[in-house]
Amino acid sequence: MIRRDFSERDIHMALDGELPADERAAYEAWLDANPEMKAKSARFTADRTALQAAFAGVLDEPVPARLRKVVLGEAPVKVAMPRSRWWLAAAAAVLVVAGGLGGYLAGIDGIGLENPAEDRLAEQAIAAHVVFAAEKRHAVEVPASDKDHLETWLSNRVGLKLVAPDLTANGFQLVGGRLLPAGESKAAMLLYEDDKGQRISLFVTAQSAENAKGTYASAQDGPRAVYWLDKGYGCAVVGSLPREQLAIVAKSAYGQLLAGLAS
Amino acid sequence: MVTSETAVMDEKKAAILGEIPRLRRYARSLLRDRDAADDLVQDCLERALVRLDNWQTGESPRRWLFTIMHHLFIDQMRKVNRRGEAAMLPLAAAEAVAQPSEQMESIASREIIDALQAISPDRRAALVMVAIEGFSYAEAASILAVPAGTLMSRIARGREELRGLLDDTARRRAIRIVEK
Repeated sequence: MIRRDFSERDIHMALDGELPADERAAYEAWLDANPEMKAKSARFTADRTALQAAFAGVLDEPVPARLRKVVLGEAPVKVAMPRSRWWLAAAAAVLVVAGGLGGYLAGIDGIGLENPAEDRLAEQAIAAHVVFAAEKRHAVEVPASDKDHLETWLSNRVGLKLVAPDLTANGFQLVGGRLLPAGESKAAMLLYEDDKGQRISLFVTAQSAENAKGTYASAQDGPRAVYWLDKGYGCAVVGSLPREQLAIVAKSAYGQLLAGLAS
Repeated sequence: MVTSETAVMDEKKAAILGEIPRLRRYARSLLRDRDAADDLVQDCLERALVRLDNWQTGESPRRWLFTIMHHLFIDQMRKVNRRGEAAMLPLAAAEAVAQPSEQMESIASREIIDALQAISPDRRAALVMVAIEGFSYAEAASILAVPAGTLMSRIARGREELRGLLDDTARRRAIRIVEK
C-alpha cells in the first residue's frame, strides 16, 4: 500500500476517478481516520449524483429538428453573428438571483439592454454604497439612535415620506443615514449592518417617471443593486451579499418602504 | 476522389449528429434555459460545419465539438462582461412560475440547477465537464484550454461554492418551515 499524505484535493481526485488505483486503499483509510473529510467526501459525492440526475433527462430528449438540419445541410449555414438569445441568457446568468426564482428566463425575451434611468439609479446607489459603506466612523450623518430625526429630515429633503425599514428579521440593524445628490435631485441613503459587520444600503430618490425593476451590477465581483422604479420614486438595495440573500432583504425593505410611503 | 470525399463528409456528419445530445446537455448546464442552450448548440454546429476540414479523422468528435462550443460560450460571457451590459431582470419574470420545460424537475434538481447557475461560468464549466460529462482532467483541461492545476482548483472551488449555496437554500427552507 502506498503511503503518502492526503488532502482535500484528493477528495476531488477520487470523486473524479483521477486517483491512481494503488493509492485508493490508503486514501480510504485516510478518510476513515478523518471523519470531517469523510463527511465532506460524502456531501460532494451526493452533489455529484444530484447534478448527474438533474441533467440526465436531456440525453433522452429528441434532437430538435433545427439542429439536425444544420448538420445535414438542409438549412443555410450562417456564420455572421452568433444568435442573440443565448448570450443574453448568459449575461443574465451572471447576475441572476439564484435559487427559488426558477423560470427567470421565461421573461428574458424583449428585455432592453439599455435603460438609462434604471442604470443611473443603480449606479448612483452602488457608488454611494462603495464610498460610504466602507467608512467606519463617518458612514452616516445621522445615527440610528436618532431615528425619528433621521426619518423626518430625510423625508423633508427628498420629498417622500420615508420610514426606515426594520430589517432585524433579516439580521440587519439600522446604522443611520445620510443625504446625497442624485443627478439634479436628492437621495436618501440608509445604511444597515449585520452582526458580522456586513453592510447593505438603501438608496431612495423621488425622481423617477417610469416603472421598472431588476438587478444590476457594474462589475462581476462588485456589489449588486436590486432596484425598483415607480412613478414618483426610485429605490435600490445595494450589497455584496449572496444574490439570493440580497433579493430577500431587498424585498422586505421595499415592502416596508412602500407601506411607509403610503402611510 | 469525389466519392470518397463525400463518404468522409457523411461519416463526419454522422459523428457530429451523434454528439448532439451530449452537446445539448452541456449547453443546458451552462445556460439552463432550453431554447438559449439549443441556440448555443446551433451556433456550435454551424461553426463546426464551416471548419469541418480542421477536424482530423481520428480525433474524438466529442472533444472537438466541446472545444468549439466552450469557446463560443466563454467568448460571449467575456464580451458581455467587458461591455458591462446590465442584464435587466424584471423581478416579476424572475418570480414567475417555472416554465413548462422545467416542470419535470424535482425540487432537488431545481435547487442544484439554480445553484449551478449561480457559480462563476469558469468554475461551472470545469465542474460540469468532469462531474456530468465525465471527461478526464487531462481532457477537460485541453478542452477548456487551461493548465491542469487551474482546472483542479476550478473544480474544487466550484464544488465548495455549489455546496455552500445548497446549504444556504436548505437553511432558508428550514427557517421557512419553522416560521409556518
